[in-house]
Amino acid sequence: MGGKVTCTLGEVKQRADFIVYWGGNPAECHPRHFTKYTIMQKSKFLPRGRKDRTMVLVDIRETKSAKAADIFLQVRPGKDFELITILRALVKGQHVGDAQIAETGLTREVLDDLVQRMKTCKFGCMFFGMGLSMTRGKHMNSAALLTLAAELNAFTKFVAMPMRGHGNVTGADVIMRWQTGYPFGISFNRGYPRYNPGEFSTVDVLVRGDCDAAFIIGADPGATMPQPAIDHLKRIPTIVLDPHVTHTSRLARIHITTAPQGIAAPGTAYRMDEIPLPLKPALKSPYPTDEEVVRRINQAIAQKPFWLPEGSQPQMLNAQV
Amino acid sequence: MTTKRFILNASRSSKQGTLINVGKESEEYQALTNTMTMAASDMAEIGLVAGQAALVRTEFGEATFTCEAGKIPEGMIFVPYGPPTCKLMGGNTDGTGMPMSKGWEVEVIPL
Repeated sequence: MGGKVTCTLGEVKQRADFIVYWGGNPAECHPRHFTKYTIMQKSKFLPRGRKDRTMVLVDIRETKSAKAADIFLQVRPGKDFELITILRALVKGQHVGDAQIAETGLTREVLDDLVQRMKTCKFGCMFFGMGLSMTRGKHMNSAALLTLAAELNAFTKFVAMPMRGHGNVTGADVIMRWQTGYPFGISFNRGYPRYNPGEFSTVDVLVRGDCDAAFIIGADPGATMPQPAIDHLKRIPTIVLDPHVTHTSRLARIHITTAPQGIAAPGTAYRMDEIPLPLKPALKSPYPTDEEVVRRINQAIAQKPFWLPEGSQPQMLNAQV
Repeated sequence: MTTKRFILNASRSSKQGTLINVGKESEEYQALTNTMTMAASDMAEIGLVAGQAALVRTEFGEATFTCEAGKIPEGMIFVPYGPPTCKLMGGNTDGTGMPMSKGWEVEVIPL
């Protein structure tokens, strides 16, 4: 089974009476999530707000978000996939052994109660964070959770949504998806998009040393990527566009300061539910926008003569024709 | 010196998010990303006291952190993402495009 059964945050705000946060700490990382969309809002269908909603937190430690939860489930580190698989079995009424449940650090009573609540709620939503998607199992954990959400629709309305971080990271995925058909890990070096995570994804390209230049817009890989990738960025000509001087700026050959989006530059940001929101600048900035800088670089490149002798094409393109 | 192994999880905090706007080169941001939190019982077991520096080592690299006690399950360490955690991260993505950024097995050596 593939795909994502999901909805907008507006629907969550209006209808979700059962919320699960899995491997995320919204109290610290998405501080407005509780109050704007999930547990605190009163709505037409949930007029008593918090009293009409149940919130479950699944995590490996008791974070600040646990204080806001009705039920906190402390799963053993690295056992998320096992727990989701057990929940899928219990939802379908299949037998699960005691030893398998004990492995997750939880009890049968707790899981039976959770499954019962999941099947009997009116509208359930599971939000999952990096504690699920970046630990052992990675995308398989996410796929398992999305499958659980899809299967729960045999009993009630249930959806799932990733807790996206950083400014407009969803926008990057959405735009790449509708322009190329793929969300990330795309190579254009044959003149058409090819998708292969592990080969064309940024970390892999940098760690293998496949690229001989890097152009980074509004990101700070120098503070987040593995050291071998950072070391390669230091070796090659790296250009950074960012409103702030970052760790990546320090290792780059060129840093161009740009106006911050949504504050001094207009544009569109995609919310985590993939809803595009227009940004209106409130202030003026002496710096150009990212778009303006990229446009000017494109114009400068267009004025240069083609890099191969006249009439010839790159070898890869010839092979494809 | 100890050989006890811990599970290190890199994470984020609201304070870190706020400090990004102060600047990643600010003293507060540097201090935050160089501080690890672990259970008081684990600290006592390996002979660490609050405020003491410790060398954290993975199979890929090592970095020095200041240690503080917190409400953390035994056997685990939490550190905000930052340049020191980059040094501990391996470059292999197992074909997924995403390196393992949580759940590293580490050795902690009090300094």
